[in-house]
Amino acid sequence: MKHLSEEELILVYYEEPDAPAMAQSHLSECAECRAAAGSLARELGFFDEWNAPAKGEDFGRDAWNRLAPALDSGREVGPGWRPVRIWAAMAGFAILLVAVFLAGRLSRPALPPVIAGLSDQARERILAIAVADHLDRVETLLTEISHDDSNAPDVFAADRERAEDLAQEGQLMKQSLALHGETATTGFLDDVDRFLIEAAHTPDRVGEKEIAELRQRIDSGSLLFKVRIVESNLRNEERKL
Amino acid sequence: MNDGNYGDAAAVERARNGDRDAFRVLVERHASAVFRLAYRMTLNETDAEDMVQETFLRAWSEMRRFDGRASFGTWLHRICANRTVDFLRSRKRWQGPAMPDTDREYDPFRNLASAAPSPEREAQSAQTGAMLEPALAALSEVERAAFTMRHYEGLAIDDVAAALGVQPGAARHSIFRAVRKLRRALEPVGSGLP
Ligand SMILES: [Zn+2]
Repeated sequence: MKHLSEEELILVYYEEPDAPAMAQSHLSECAECRAAAGSLARELGFFDEWNAPAKGEDFGRDAWNRLAPALDSGREVGPGWRPVRIWAAMAGFAILLVAVFLAGRLSRPALPPVIAGLSDQARERILAIAVADHLDRVETLLTEISHDDSNAPDVFAADRERAEDLAQEGQLMKQSLALHGETATTGFLDDVDRFLIEAAHTPDRVGEKEIAELRQRIDSGSLLFKVRIVESNLRNEERKL
Repeated sequence: MNDGNYGDAAAVERARNGDRDAFRVLVERHASAVFRLAYRMTLNETDAEDMVQETFLRAWSEMRRFDGRASFGTWLHRICANRTVDFLRSRKRWQGPAMPDTDREYDPFRNLASAAPSPEREAQSAQTGAMLEPALAALSEVERAAFTMRHYEGLAIDDVAAALGVQPGAARHSIFRAVRKLRRALEPVGSGLP
């Protein structure tokens, strides 16, 4: 008799529809799996005790007091965190990255010794990380365009800007990869770029129809899926290096 | 406390029409629960407070799209989960869900056994929480996000996947890994569990 795996027991515990159909009847017959299910439930139950730090009675009011001024000035004014800042910072990093690669190829004396002194392996690793991070940002954007139902015309303007930033960042990535002779990844980034440029060039008053078309392009070419795979491969490579 | 959902329905209707006082009622009522979710995902009070702001800001701008199919609280939590995932992604530590084949070598919990207090299980829940937190902190961000949404928020795996922007298989996998890691983290004390 084949016992239930831990993964199957987890699906049963959470009453997921993917739990194997025979699980319940097996559990009623098999003491061993019942015991395993029992200890899983007990251990997961233990984590129910874990909670966030308690907030006082005033927390809701304080949250409102902080929020209220931002509501007046529209959605652009938020708390400390803003994605835009990160895009800008990353573009800076990408430029540095190209410098790192140029340093490897053309040993110009003017380059900072720190960069010139990096080993090939260190450079390779930096490149893998940078491209994976770039793809991570592309993935976030694609996901938002394809899933997030807040991507109505009025919200789309911000996505368009990000697409433009990412397209520029992609250019730098490609230059670095080309210097490194990574033609396969460069070709893939070309596909990504074509989409980003298209997204960046949607009209100002983009309609539901244009957004639907972009979504379709993401789905039909399984672009999002490919981005994830390539990113995951790069992460693995990066860990190996 | 007021009658949660009935009270929400009236306030939601008014807030949809731009009534700030009504929205204020909703913020005050739901802020703590949203904070709890954000904290579990970020493990950082300041970040979680920022996510509360992000969530309500987004909710306000999207109010007219709330269709009432889910409860207002559920809708808010979904926004919070999405915003927090975006926030975590924007930082360098986010690794994305590992592909099934690369699952073999995740970090063993080296420091955890020493971080866990002695197995006195009459510990009060605050103490238990303090003991559990290192275990949750040792998960990758995507694993913790997935586990939080499944275990604490009760989201189905397909919904977790949608919030993470990944395929259901990847979300399922993150949950499996989270559970496996958490169970392993309990091992030092596990033999003494009831
Ligand atoms: Zn069995």
